[in-house]
Amino acid sequence: MSQELIDAITDMREDDALKITNKLLDEGMSPLDILNACKEAMDVIGKRFETGEAFIPELILAGEMMTAVSDVIKPRLAEEAASEKLGKIVIGTVEGDIHDIAKDIVAFMLDLNGFEVTDLGVDVPVAKFVEAVKETGATVVGLSGFLTLAYDPMKDTVAALKESGLDVKIMIGGGQIDEQIREYTGADAYGRDAMAAVALAKEWMKE
Amino acid sequence: MFIRPDNWNELSPLERRKVRLDAWQNAPVEFISPEAEANYKERIERLRKIYDMEPHDRPIADPFMGANEYIVRRKGLNGKDMCYNHEKLREPLLEFHNEFQPDAGATPLPYPGKVMDMLDYQTYIWGGQKLPDELTIQAVEGEYMMGDEYKEFAADPTNFWLKKYLPRVMPTLAPLAMLTEFPRVSENVDIIDMMLPFGLPPFQEMLKTMMEAGNELMKMLGAVGQTAGMIAASGFPSMGLNIVKTPFDYLGDTLRGTKGILTDMYRRPNDLLAACEAYVPVLINAVVNACDRNSAPTALYVLHKGADAFMSQKQFEKFYWPTWKQVMLALYEEGITSYLFIEGSYNNRLENLAEMPEKSLVCHFDQTEMGPVKDILSDKFIIAGNVPASLMATGTTDEVRAYCANLMDLFGDSPGYIMAHGCYFENTTDDKLRAFIEAVKK
Repeated sequence: MSQELIDAITDMREDDALKITNKLLDEGMSPLDILNACKEAMDVIGKRFETGEAFIPELILAGEMMTAVSDVIKPRLAEEAASEKLGKIVIGTVEGDIHDIAKDIVAFMLDLNGFEVTDLGVDVPVAKFVEAVKETGATVVGLSGFLTLAYDPMKDTVAALKESGLDVKIMIGGGQIDEQIREYTGADAYGRDAMAAVALAKEWMKE
Repeated sequence: MFIRPDNWNELSPLERRKVRLDAWQNAPVEFISPEAEANYKERIERLRKIYDMEPHDRPIADPFMGANEYIVRRKGLNGKDMCYNHEKLREPLLEFHNEFQPDAGATPLPYPGKVMDMLDYQTYIWGGQKLPDELTIQAVEGEYMMGDEYKEFAADPTNFWLKKYLPRVMPTLAPLAMLTEFPRVSENVDIIDMMLPFGLPPFQEMLKTMMEAGNELMKMLGAVGQTAGMIAASGFPSMGLNIVKTPFDYLGDTLRGTKGILTDMYRRPNDLLAACEAYVPVLINAVVNACDRNSAPTALYVLHKGADAFMSQKQFEKFYWPTWKQVMLALYEEGITSYLFIEGSYNNRLENLAEMPEKSLVCHFDQTEMGPVKDILSDKFIIAGNVPASLMATGTTDEVRAYCANLMDLFGDSPGYIMAHGCYFENTTDDKLRAFIEAVKK
């Protein structure tokens, strides 16, 4: 594994990360090893986020670096075996709310941590969540909402998912979401940020 | 219109502040009854003492921004009404004030739906337009300035705003890009460049649309102004604010978008800093002019991207705080108080705020821990907040009462405290709103 690449990503040296990736490929390093180095770097950034040493800018920029590196190595990765996924998650911003930034970061961090994420986007109707869970067989649903107007659509979505008899755990998150709203909506948990969402999903997969 | 006294240049910042607050407090109002007049004077005097951090009988509870949508929703009106039917809002607004007797007036909800339609405004969507009728208004983030345009912006922010930003967010105004750079209009032949667009059909079409939109705006302002006037006439003073943002938030919220600005801190830090610097004098000038035009004594900052979660303390102190502080200090010199509506939390930023001069700020918190706020800021600044929207939406009346009582224990004896929302109370109940309003009267 390349410590040089890990350092470039964790130091937020975007140009270096790409240069090093190309250099490593030229030197014959396997694309999978490069991908693993990226994941290790993201792990470091995730831990820094949890301890208050990294913030949203670092998560976003690291995400962009990951995408850029993936674009370079993807063509060569095709033959390699796809890595085993930890589980399936459906995520989206609830009906009536068009905010996507926090939801995108959560989806990205879940994906990076080995989950197969189906992102339904923003302003997602209740029925679409139920449909997506049925289609994908997801066992976790993440509902995002930035505004206070998201409280009721969240509650309705949780109710519809529970009524449908699907075996899913539901987490909620967003600017004005707290324990009070978790109770109100009947969701299984609320997470303050992207790393909390990852921790919750990992915990639920063990059950 | 605020008129500076002849001795303005000899006055200290706090003396200037007093002159502006006097002008706001003594603005003429025609009251509907002697009782309304007495109530108005009592309320504005209390609010004034809070702004002055002088002894007064009790804090106030402010429904100014926090509850304004609920106030009309409780009477069955929806988001579309708030954007398009301003006459219809008057009755519920007046009824609310009469029934609840709040300490200050609520805003008359001036969302200009028709005007935004006519200009094809892109940075928001709203009820009755692209959002369902029951919803009000939501921001649509976009990259309205590209990363490689920072230098152009910093060279002349006003020119960029006029000829690049406005056409991008209101496509109807695209012909503005034809305008010449006005500072080069000097000699008689320069008039040719200045006036040329005005002779061209696309520009003339735009002017026609703008005039029609202007007529619509006047209709709306007539309705909203009448409502605001009647709220004051019934005994409820306005808080007197002009909305503004920090240089970083103008660049982030308005021009580059969240993703753009946050990655710019790494990708083009010097361009970003130069643009924030360039915006400082433009912003100071704009806020002073606005406060002069409408005699509001305070500038209301709706604060976004400097919150704890958005950036590290180091990034805050490099990118966000210095230029914002410059603006606030310049406004302080002009006697204008900065009213900070701090969305999210500012647990790490309290010491930065404490650098500002006494009475220069009203600090209105959303999710910040209020214990440290009390210790670090409450002797120096007016404090407001932080009743959670989640509690108002889904808690019980007793829980609201208990939360507000807690805030009163903390801040009831502070030199200046305003009981207020954290995030807006869009959905609550009359009982909970009453508990919030009455909490300060105990």
